[in-house]
Amino acid sequence: MHLFQIRYRNTQGTLMRILTAVTRRGLDLPYVQAEPVEHNHEVTLLLDVTPKQQGQLCRDWYAVVDVLEVRPATALKEVWEREVSTSLPPASATVAPRAQTAMA
Amino acid sequence: MPKTPMHNAPTRTSAELRGADILLRCLRAEGVDLVFGYPGGAIMPLYDALEGSGVRHILTRHEQGAVFAAEGYARSTGKTGVAFATSGPGATNLVTGIADAKMDSVPLVCVTGQVRSPLIGTDAFQETDVFGMTLSLTKWSRLVKTIEEIPEVVAQAFYWARSGRPGPVVLDVPVDILKAKMEFGGPVIFRPLANGSTSNHGLQWPHLRSLLESAKRPVALVGAGAKLSGATDELRRLLDELNIPTFATVHGLGAVPSEAPYYLGMVGMHGTRAANTALDETDLLLVFGARLDDRVTGEPARFAPHARIVHFEIDPAQLDRVRPCEIPVVGDLAETIPHFRAELSRTKLPDWSEWRGIACGIERAELESKGMAEPTIRFLDALFARLPENTFVLTDVGQHQMWAAQRYRRNTPRGFITSGGLGAMGFALPAAVGVQLANPEACVVCISGDGGFQMNLQELATVHRLKLPVKMVIVDNKYLGMVRQWQQLFYERNYAETDLSDNPDFVAISKAYGIHAELLGVDGVAGSTVPPATATLLDRFLNSPQPELLVFECPKEANVYPMVPAGAALSEMILEEE
Repeated sequence: MHLFQIRYRNTQGTLMRILTAVTRRGLDLPYVQAEPVEHNHEVTLLLDVTPKQQGQLCRDWYAVVDVLEVRPATALKEVWEREVSTSLPPASATVAPRAQTAMA
Repeated sequence: MPKTPMHNAPTRTSAELRGADILLRCLRAEGVDLVFGYPGGAIMPLYDALEGSGVRHILTRHEQGAVFAAEGYARSTGKTGVAFATSGPGATNLVTGIADAKMDSVPLVCVTGQVRSPLIGTDAFQETDVFGMTLSLTKWSRLVKTIEEIPEVVAQAFYWARSGRPGPVVLDVPVDILKAKMEFGGPVIFRPLANGSTSNHGLQWPHLRSLLESAKRPVALVGAGAKLSGATDELRRLLDELNIPTFATVHGLGAVPSEAPYYLGMVGMHGTRAANTALDETDLLLVFGARLDDRVTGEPARFAPHARIVHFEIDPAQLDRVRPCEIPVVGDLAETIPHFRAELSRTKLPDWSEWRGIACGIERAELESKGMAEPTIRFLDALFARLPENTFVLTDVGQHQMWAAQRYRRNTPRGFITSGGLGAMGFALPAAVGVQLANPEACVVCISGDGGFQMNLQELATVHRLKLPVKMVIVDNKYLGMVRQWQQLFYERNYAETDLSDNPDFVAISKAYGIHAELLGVDGVAGSTVPPATATLLDRFLNSPQPELLVFECPKEANVYPMVPAGAALSEMILEEE
């Protein structure tokens, strides 16, 4: 797991463009937090990415109009375990098996 | 119309204008005098305001035709193309063109009508989330929420469409905003806030010099960036100074003089043997304004396996996509190439004549035998040999596109126009409308396959209405030829759903639209020289002041070679029929 912090101007679509750079690669978004920071906004993403994807993502994010700064962090397995696994709602008992079938 | 800087308090006049009038005035202030579109309910106020606005509107017969025409206008001039469409299906019909503009770096502003503001999000009639739908395809977009913001968003839209790596933007304007009125203080100028990123390519020169000095087999690859930046002349001077084997992507065609002794033609999946072989052997690859997509690289892991890569590129997002580059030089080629040349003047380059002799030698020249493709190639050669100086050649997508790219030998940087990145069939005919309108004195030749032509043939009506002297060619093999070729080579000749043997009579269709058309069979290009009757036909076709259609019936199972199979390295190209 890698932690990324992206500072951006909160104009129409900027956050969504940041996120679609992730989703177009078929990556899951297990943890996303966007918040105002000083005069701008910052989104924190936790992603399971290869080093190549990490480079591509950072460059794609930089290319988004109104992205100000991209800070990739080192792998943070402990953050995932500490924050994500406890903050996610439990899987639905009826949905989970179907999801597993679909992913088989 | 003078512009006032944004954020300054504009000088108000007493006249109240509708949002539609304001939008058109702002378009005029951006230099727009020609737009392409198709009206509908949610954009009617904009159409109502067109008369007397100074903006000429070209009615196409489909929104996809409008956006491709706007692309043709932009690709041939370097200016920003503009397309209008209504909400819902009008907007969704623009999407292919928007994606095409994104892939091929075409400056494009699409203005879509939207349902009334209170209805947004209610699944109203002809409502689609065009903003959301195009988020990943656009550089920038805006759903306009107030009439007051129109001047600012128009200024921003044009700024982002043109700046850096050009691309598409979308302005989605609800119909009530177009109808609303306010006092208009004039267009504004958008000045972007600095985002802190600057190019430090100057730091790369010492490293680049040392790579050049140690290189044994350097090559240069030229892409669309050379044209888009307007740096073709500088690039040509640089290439003359380097004098190393050079090749181009399909969008780089025309940027390098075809007669240059170091020029090896097109590279990639259907590139020349010489270009692909040199790329496989090089130890230093200089890339000028190319994305290095999979059609250029073949199998990425085996792309230029011995090379260090120096990548001159305006868009940092394109770096390292295929292979890590040794030296990224981020910036506009119009800026970085002159700096590079200045550095070269202080560098003693090695003697690369032996390498050049090998890479450009006769042993690697194209094979004489073209198999069943020979008549088509002879036809294209005969056609291209007759083109006047001021000519644009457009192609659709498929076999004819690659044959045309392989045979194109002209030196006009923007002269070869095709949908290269997205590969959108149906592109050529509507794009030719835009090119011809933007370049009324030019000869515009539009080459399509029989499949692609039928995707937007309704634009024959636009050609006829405007009496545009576009010269349309259909290379008719009664197949979706490129797919059939792949089926033949890689799917055991299972020609699933690629047979178009029941094609309509294209000559009759053309005549129904009021456009003169003729048929030419393979007999018309038999022999080593062009028969007099064919020569006469081609001369008349190209010199006609009217639109013309020429259907060339080519052999059904002709293939394009060389060809690099998907997933193979460039060195594994198939040179001819096996």
